Amino acid sequence: MNVFVTPAMLAQVVVSGILSGALYAMVALGLALIFGVMRIINVAHGPLLMLGAYTTYFLYSALGLNPYLTVPVSMLALFAVGVLLERTLVFRVVDAPELSSLLLTFGISIALVNLAQLLFTSDLRSVEYLTGSWVVGPVALSKPRLVAFVFAGALTGLAFLFLRRTKLGKAIRATSQSREVAMVCGIDVQRIHLITFGLAAALAAAGGALIAMIVAIQPEMGQTWTFKSFLVIVLGGAGNYPGALLGGILLGLIEQVASLFLTTQLSEVVAYVLLVVVLLVRPTGLLGGRET
Amino acid sequence: MTTKALGAVVAAMAVLVGGLAAQAQGPIRIGASLSLTGTYAKLGRNQHEGYKLCEKDLNATGGLLGRKVEFVVYDDQSTPATAVRLYEKLITEDMVDGVMGPYSSPVTEASANVTEKYKKVMVAPLAATTSIFKRPPDKKRYYVFMVISPAEAYLEGLIDMAAKRGLKTVAVVNEDTLFSKAAAAGAVDIAKKKGMQVVFQEAYPKGNTDFAALLTKVKSLNPDIVAAATYFDDAVALTRQMRELDVSPKAYGVTVGGDLPEFYDTLKANAEYVYGATQWEHVLPYPGNHEFFGAYKKEFGHEPSYHSAAGYAGCLIYAEAVKRAGTLDADRVREQLLKLEMRTVFGDYKVDQDGFQVAHRMVTFQWQEGKKVVVWPDEMAPAKPRFPTPPWNQR
Amino acid sequence: MIRRGAALAALAAVVAGLAAYPGYASGYGVRATLQIFMWIVLAGSWNLISGLTGYVSFGHVAFFGAGAYTGAILVAKVGWPWLPAALAGGVAAVLLALVIGYPCLRLKGPYFAIALLGLNEVLRALVSYFEGLTGGGNGLSLPTLDATIPIYYAMGASAASVTLLTYVIITSRFGLRLMTIREDEVAAEAMGIDTARHKLYAFLLSAAGPGIVGALTARDQGYIEPISVFPLATTITMIVMVLLGGKGTVWGPVLGAVVLFVAQEVVWARYPYVHPLLFGAIIVAVVLLMPRGVLGLLQSRYRLPRTI
Repeated sequence: MNVFVTPAMLAQVVVSGILSGALYAMVALGLALIFGVMRIINVAHGPLLMLGAYTTYFLYSALGLNPYLTVPVSMLALFAVGVLLERTLVFRVVDAPELSSLLLTFGISIALVNLAQLLFTSDLRSVEYLTGSWVVGPVALSKPRLVAFVFAGALTGLAFLFLRRTKLGKAIRATSQSREVAMVCGIDVQRIHLITFGLAAALAAAGGALIAMIVAIQPEMGQTWTFKSFLVIVLGGAGNYPGALLGGILLGLIEQVASLFLTTQLSEVVAYVLLVVVLLVRPTGLLGGRET
Repeated sequence: MTTKALGAVVAAMAVLVGGLAAQAQGPIRIGASLSLTGTYAKLGRNQHEGYKLCEKDLNATGGLLGRKVEFVVYDDQSTPATAVRLYEKLITEDMVDGVMGPYSSPVTEASANVTEKYKKVMVAPLAATTSIFKRPPDKKRYYVFMVISPAEAYLEGLIDMAAKRGLKTVAVVNEDTLFSKAAAAGAVDIAKKKGMQVVFQEAYPKGNTDFAALLTKVKSLNPDIVAAATYFDDAVALTRQMRELDVSPKAYGVTVGGDLPEFYDTLKANAEYVYGATQWEHVLPYPGNHEFFGAYKKEFGHEPSYHSAAGYAGCLIYAEAVKRAGTLDADRVREQLLKLEMRTVFGDYKVDQDGFQVAHRMVTFQWQEGKKVVVWPDEMAPAKPRFPTPPWNQR
Repeated sequence: MIRRGAALAALAAVVAGLAAYPGYASGYGVRATLQIFMWIVLAGSWNLISGLTGYVSFGHVAFFGAGAYTGAILVAKVGWPWLPAALAGGVAAVLLALVIGYPCLRLKGPYFAIALLGLNEVLRALVSYFEGLTGGGNGLSLPTLDATIPIYYAMGASAASVTLLTYVIITSRFGLRLMTIREDEVAAEAMGIDTARHKLYAFLLSAAGPGIVGALTARDQGYIEPISVFPLATTITMIVMVLLGGKGTVWGPVLGAVVLFVAQEVVWARYPYVHPLLFGAIIVAVVLLMPRGVLGLLQSRYRLPRTI
């Protein structure tokens, strides 16, 4: 069933792609930080996002808080969860081969999902706050997605400012470039790992909080986000933080444009083929990253 | 000793032995593998509760064939491979007296191969796919029985109502799984029969919640009807994004997901006018339905879904067939199940020679002011649909 | 030598016992054992690439699924008997491994893992898309056939073959080179080992087993659908089995498969609502407490031979 694609339709999906791309970028930035600093592939990133979404949901439904005000609360809560996970489990696999960290975080991931099923049940929940869209010419801008875009942009910007301007941020970047040199310079690498993991969990939580206002939430919502975040950091260059931004927007665009011209089913395939091609042609990502 | 006396002694012994045997028999054990974790956990657990309530009600009324009834349930983690192994375990290790069906069409499809192999009757209350029952002669199944209406019937109400009101074009979208595909195929079929034009059809992967591109295509074709074969959270996401992208057909309906109370809680005003299809509602005037609803809520602390009701009714249907057969023997129970016509809390039961359900009716409802109002079929509908659906900004 | 003789005798006894087992076992006993064989093949195959070379294949279930679909299509649409269909499943998986492995094995460390992480999802999407051939989301239903016992022997033979293959490789120069790559790839290259070719061979070998048992499983189950043959959880389970038993060893995957499967059947069946939590805890415990697995521990403690 062929549909004739008009420029207006293309404009619509490009806008939609950029809107979701910003969310991908923010969530993936967390994963990129962990990978860059600790050399760990954190499969539990999506479930952390899920916990962030539930935090927002409960604050909104139980306390009646404005859901956008819950974003920092979710971030703080998950920062704490992240720190706890790092201190108890994850730090033990920092220098182990990648298989250990992959499996450990996978174990954490299924445990978190099961816990959420036990505590929150599998019922669908959602935060219905902003609905509908603003129409600009031929393009409809979804209100919750646009606000999420603004939030994601702002938070990502803040994260970059933090990384570039603050002493702690510089220490994180230094550790990510070379742990040995950082140690020689008197940086407490253990502490940097702790903060990085917490920060990454907080970014995932922000994503979860914003997504809670876009789609229904349930315990298994996180897994697709883990995978999307991998795609993003590979496209942008693992360990390259501005690359995550580019990768996110790119993934959003690819998904939407491929769904428009092909089918939603095939857009996954297109994204994966692109991932493999990028890995092969530029294993360090489109913007280049650090060598392993 | 005379032959008469001998006969009396033999008879007395037979009674004695028979009595002992009855005592030694213990409860009738019915095995089932259910999706208690994994993708279908929520729905599988409701079905499990339906079985539990049925077990309780049967035992409260004297059990079955004078014996108590006991369910043996395992978790198949929503995967067919595990379910196959578990049915094999139930039948050959636990030596259960009977089995009941698992949750979902794919799991039933795989498990039925095991129950057929051991010639066990399986009433499968949550299998809605025609291809499980209607099969070519070399693959025919004899012992599996359907309780709910087939997936193909889910969107029939929506299309039928729209056709009666003169709508012409329809867009069909569906999740790419066994059940949803069948529902979509049914919608396309019925639409064509009614002389409508199917202008768009596309499947999306399970778990997809971003429909911007898909809906942009739908919008460009401006169909009168959007019929969506959904499963769960995709129903919510699709409805939200239709509003965002201002896709405004004159009638829009979903399948599974739209009937959950969460659908309205989530979407509030945006759920208004949306049609949904369901196998069962607690307000439908079936015998004992009201009492079932109350008892279930009391027992488990939440409202039953149609999965609960189908599980409960399926178990009662099996029990009724066993009662009528007077034995657990598979062939005799099968005979009774083929003949049986029964009206349960879930509605009517009657199957054809393939075990395929022919009596149960789906109902179509519409969300009106926060309530699911049954609007189709006419003879069961207390109200008329609010038609046509106004544009989004006027709801 | 006496110890070796005793070990061989014990092994022969176990094999004879398993061969005679279907004669007196219940249907469930046969099916459960058959599935243990399947896991031995999956875990043992994963061990061939990841245990020996250190390249973590996070997409190994893709080969299982490719074999399952190849076998099922040949049986359902072409009418092949199940045994040649199973072999064809193995061939298809090896071909897929060639297509994937040739480019991806050039990626180092975590990048290889990431590249394979999405493979199962992509195959699932492709299988769903080409529904004329595969039935798409409807799945494929095969003609009814009760071949559980012959399939039991086929699975058992596959499990034995994979274990034997592992032994042969580990004791060969080829295996030594693979382990050199695992320890230090740069040094291996400097020593003149053609690392690309060695890794590719190991990868191809590791795909054959999953392809064959995928096709056997499809035949035995009589019905497959995209979601249930391509789950990431299957890959994870094989990895955990290998880790639990001891990676890079001959008997580690066998031990891990048996222990984890039995634990699943016996323990988890009692706690249906929380077993993912238990599984998660087991994974975490294995990774943190015994990353070299049971056999790895024994090897270092009792100076067992490398070829155990």
